[in-house]
Amino acid sequence: MPTSPLIPRGRRRAAPAPFAHEAPADQLHLLRRATWGPTPDSLAEVARLGTAAWLDRQLDPAALDDGAVDAFAGRMRFYGRSAQDLWAGGYAATEWNAMFETGRLTLARQIWSTRQLFEVVVDVWNNVLHVTNPSSEVWASRQDYDRNVVRRHALGTFGDMLVASARHPAMLTYLDNASSTAARPNENYGRELLELHTLGVESGYSEADVKGSARLLTGLTVGRDGGGVYEAGRHDGGGRTVYGFTVPPHSAADGDGWIDAYLRWLAVHPVTARRLCGKLATRFVSDTPPAALLDAMARTWVQTGGQVVPVLRTMFDSPHFWASAGQKVRTPQEDYVATLRTLGTGMETGGVGGITKIYWHVLDQGHAPMAWPAPNGYPDVAAAWTSPSGTLARWNRHMDFAAGWYPPELRFTPALQLLASIPPTFGGLVDALGVRITGSRLTADEKAGLLLYAGRSEGSPCSAGDRWVRDNLRYLVALTLDTPSFTIR
Amino acid sequence: MSTAGTRNDPHCGCEEGSRLLSRRSVLRTALAAAAAGVTTYAVGDVSTQVSFAAPGWNGETLVVLSLHGGFDGLSAVVPGGDGAYYAARPTIAVPRSTLLGLDQMFGLHPAMAPLVPFWKSGTFGVVHAVGQSDPTRSHFAAMEQMETAAPGSSVRTGWIDRTIGSLGTGSVLNAVGISNQPPRSFAGPAQETTTTSLEGFSLIGPGDDRPTWHAALRRMHTGARPEVAAPANTLLRAMEDVAKLPGTGAGPANGAAYPGSDLGRALAQAALLKKSGAPVQVIALDYGDWDMHAGLGRVDGGWMRDKLTELSSALAAFATDLGPAFGSTTLVTLSEFGRRVEENASGGLDHGHGNAVLLLGGGVVGGRVHGAWPGLGADRLVDGDLAGTTDYRAVIGEVLQKRCGAGSLQTIFPGFGGSQLGVVRAR
Repeated sequence: MPTSPLIPRGRRRAAPAPFAHEAPADQLHLLRRATWGPTPDSLAEVARLGTAAWLDRQLDPAALDDGAVDAFAGRMRFYGRSAQDLWAGGYAATEWNAMFETGRLTLARQIWSTRQLFEVVVDVWNNVLHVTNPSSEVWASRQDYDRNVVRRHALGTFGDMLVASARHPAMLTYLDNASSTAARPNENYGRELLELHTLGVESGYSEADVKGSARLLTGLTVGRDGGGVYEAGRHDGGGRTVYGFTVPPHSAADGDGWIDAYLRWLAVHPVTARRLCGKLATRFVSDTPPAALLDAMARTWVQTGGQVVPVLRTMFDSPHFWASAGQKVRTPQEDYVATLRTLGTGMETGGVGGITKIYWHVLDQGHAPMAWPAPNGYPDVAAAWTSPSGTLARWNRHMDFAAGWYPPELRFTPALQLLASIPPTFGGLVDALGVRITGSRLTADEKAGLLLYAGRSEGSPCSAGDRWVRDNLRYLVALTLDTPSFTIR
Repeated sequence: MSTAGTRNDPHCGCEEGSRLLSRRSVLRTALAAAAAGVTTYAVGDVSTQVSFAAPGWNGETLVVLSLHGGFDGLSAVVPGGDGAYYAARPTIAVPRSTLLGLDQMFGLHPAMAPLVPFWKSGTFGVVHAVGQSDPTRSHFAAMEQMETAAPGSSVRTGWIDRTIGSLGTGSVLNAVGISNQPPRSFAGPAQETTTTSLEGFSLIGPGDDRPTWHAALRRMHTGARPEVAAPANTLLRAMEDVAKLPGTGAGPANGAAYPGSDLGRALAQAALLKKSGAPVQVIALDYGDWDMHAGLGRVDGGWMRDKLTELSSALAAFATDLGPAFGSTTLVTLSEFGRRVEENASGGLDHGHGNAVLLLGGGVVGGRVHGAWPGLGADRLVDGDLAGTTDYRAVIGEVLQKRCGAGSLQTIFPGFGGSQLGVVRAR
């Protein structure tokens, strides 16, 4: 794995340090993919550690201090409660608030957590084993699903995550298995398990496989206390073969074990491995990840029984990852988060009003965390998100955030403080802003566009006392955030 | 599990009651995940000055309303004369006595009463037993196939994009999606616009200096990757085009009363766009939330009743609001598949095949149910589902040819050679 020379080390302070230099390309690439957006601090960290050691740290998130975000999570009143606890009632004001808290906290973690790679991987799995948040049936269980299914297993073993998902009241209600019975099975979960959670629709399973899958899964339901249970009386113990997995006729009491075996068989099936490695590679590498990379990742998946960390290491160790710079476009959610991160926007000092407003912004953009309305999760390809209306929303939020207009609860860095000093020419100012905001120099076209807005030429003199600079630097910062360079992941 | 804060009680009393979003409310987007890996941008000379209207535009607007999630056409346009329908759905069938009679076989769900006047005046019609040539019961595969509309070929653009290309483009307002994200059917080289609202379709911040601001943004995107440059340039042109439209801040006309919902707002925007004289050839909208595996409800209450009420009242408001522009508007509903004929134990319906298409517009041959009805007898079903006897491309194709002035359909629907159904009159 490439490493790179050090740049000035050890500068850690509350306010973001200016990027002193253009970051080495490999370090910038790694941070653009493995975090929710580079910051001066994270670039300094990867410069100090090297890319390999930086990845090692990120792949062991429990060892990273995330106290600030943990404290922020403590402001959420319902997030930490179990599904059964909320179901039991006594929290009259709860209603949908636990789900909104889950979405907002996720957004806050993306912006401010030190466990950045973990947060990216959580996002990938949230979209694979997707349960729309918020949605009506999971008002009591979605926060529990977030904690005990996705986050618990995100860097663990996929089979464990799949089993936990199948038995969780959130998934059982979301895809209707809770109401499926031997007499008249509901096919929804049995189908989506094959299509979305494991094999994929291209794998060639039949309608009979879907029906068999649904029948085998009968019995998993939601108990009176709001938790996931196995009720033998609902189970269809008939023998069947689903996509090559053969179950003999069995007693209803044994159904639970057969369901488990079925889920774990699906989780490590080579077709599942290939498809889910495709999801990871689409996130981290490109919209069309190369087959050789998927082969290598899937091999690791099968060899390790679906362990996530070795699969990620295979990917990050591959030449395909390092050769993929510039091949991904930021999604709307990522653009918002990356903007707040690079601007050094600080967490609100109390309450959750600021993050709530950010959450409404991304929700209006159709991209609040986990809020995709269908069971297939958010797409992560440019074609899904690069639209005129999406571009307008991004540009307008860049302006809000660059000027510190909204939301007022957040602690924005004034535009004049983004740079350690104002360069003596407008050309220098634009260069410095480009490096400060995107980590690298802007293209000649981008620079020309910014100078066109300023109405100045490359060599026009510039200073902190310049009235134009004082009045308009925030606009120039917003435009820098609008550059194609910033739009690239 | 029945819940507090359920679908039927969206304003649940929590702080954001009015902002709620439900899975059940919006299975609506273009399902671009199904298109993962397919990038079909062509850059073209997006910054070239163009005329406002396409030279060949005849003034007709096709409105495509996608009922994502799998619309149960059998609950909407009920085959009340077919005893097999009642046998298959002991708890959720719409009783014959409640149907709004259409003909000897069919009747509308009573929640669709707002559309009856249009049925009577001959501007609302139905095609039943519509399907896809290569049926799949995966939402995502079926939507991808429906919006690409080129089964068995290597074509990966969307059919609306090919339509715009074939009719000729003059403005990025030739095709407009009223939503957050463009539908899959927009994928391809033609430049479409997607927005939730015309009002406020402009940049904040630069004050009176928008021309300079726009010029700077254009310059910055010169030479950028096409998937970034194309939407940016389309946006700049669209903002400038929308700014030229008269009356985009006006409200509904003719006493039209839209439901206060996403669908009502989207259709009101569509009507506004049409009435403004924008050269809009195709408008695409989504109204999802039809994936009723459990708890479909009964005729007098529940999920389906509520959805059909909203759909029908919004469509009636749209037709009313358009006034004279209704004469040059044709709205068609599409859904990726219909649902299983037989209800399941959860009082819902699993994925099926054949479906109903609704048509509303001044040129519609309404007041009748078109298409060959295959029946619901056990020997007539396909894998437990209503057979599809009419390809959905035949319905769209006829509208494109007779109303929108499209010539050959070979570019739009490669390999499809359907016959005319008589669902619309020629302009």
